[in-house]
Amino acid sequence: MVKRGRLEIIKDILYIVQSNQNSIKITPLIRKSNLSSSNFKEYYLELLNKDFIKETVHSNNKSISLTDKGLKFLEKYRTIINFVDEFEL
Amino acid sequence: MVSMTGRAVGQGLEQGLGKLMNLGIETEIIYSFVIIICSLMIYFRTKDLYKLSSHKGIKYFRQSFLFFALAYFFRSFIKLILFYFDAGEIRTLLPIFGNITLFVFMYFSSMAIFYLIYSVMWKKWESNSIVYLFHLVAFAIAITIILFRNPFIYFLINLLLLVFIVFVFYKSYKQSKKKKSHNLYFIYLLLFIFWIFNVIDILIPNYLRTFQLFIYLISLGIFLSILDKVIRKTG
Repeated sequence: MVKRGRLEIIKDILYIVQSNQNSIKITPLIRKSNLSSSNFKEYYLELLNKDFIKETVHSNNKSISLTDKGLKFLEKYRTIINFVDEFEL
Repeated sequence: MVSMTGRAVGQGLEQGLGKLMNLGIETEIIYSFVIIICSLMIYFRTKDLYKLSSHKGIKYFRQSFLFFALAYFFRSFIKLILFYFDAGEIRTLLPIFGNITLFVFMYFSSMAIFYLIYSVMWKKWESNSIVYLFHLVAFAIAITIILFRNPFIYFLINLLLLVFIVFVFYKSYKQSKKKKSHNLYFIYLLLFIFWIFNVIDILIPNYLRTFQLFIYLISLGIFLSILDKVIRKTG
């Protein structure tokens, strides 16, 4: 199995959130992302800091959803990968 | 009579070719303007991709073209001053100002080349200190150019840079299995070679005068082809 790159992992996490009607709890997100909890934490904090995802609390339940920036990343993901590939970056 | 006519035609051709190759300031300005615009378009068109991905390769690639734009700006500035005062070398004309301008030009142009190499090699060379090393080497190159007013030193520095670039790209090319990347390495190699010609053209005025038009056309072609690739890939 080929090791996923940083951008692919970010895309996968965002895609999981999006495909769950843009609202998912943290435990199923960790499980579906196929990452160790320490790795997941690292990516999760990065996504929060970059404003790709946001946390919303509803009656003591924390759920995660995509921001506009997160959606834009998903839209542009193919373009980014093609560009990196084209220029061997 | 026949030989006289032949000689006259020969002289006419020589003069015509001389005029064509002896480029005016308008050509210099258009040439620099197009390359600066190309470089800035590459820089700004990739801004969104970098902001979204924070990809280091994209970052160094963008910085390289920002430095190319700056270097070409100073290059055309030097050419404008030389044309305005009808002088051969900027340092002879304006010692302090000329040295500063030349220093900045050399520093930016070396950084442009280093950043472009690093955009391809960053995964293999990943280290925080390597960018500082590039700044240090670019600074050293610029200082050497200022201190030694010797064409031999200029050639030596550019030759060493070229050997370094060819060595790095050859190693990377050998490791790359993608067929399309061979085309990219060829474009980059041409870019470096013709950039060095552009640098020599500033350091040793008139040395490459005969080939100036050729150098300008190829350089324009290279920058336009990279811009075309960027536009096609960024949509």
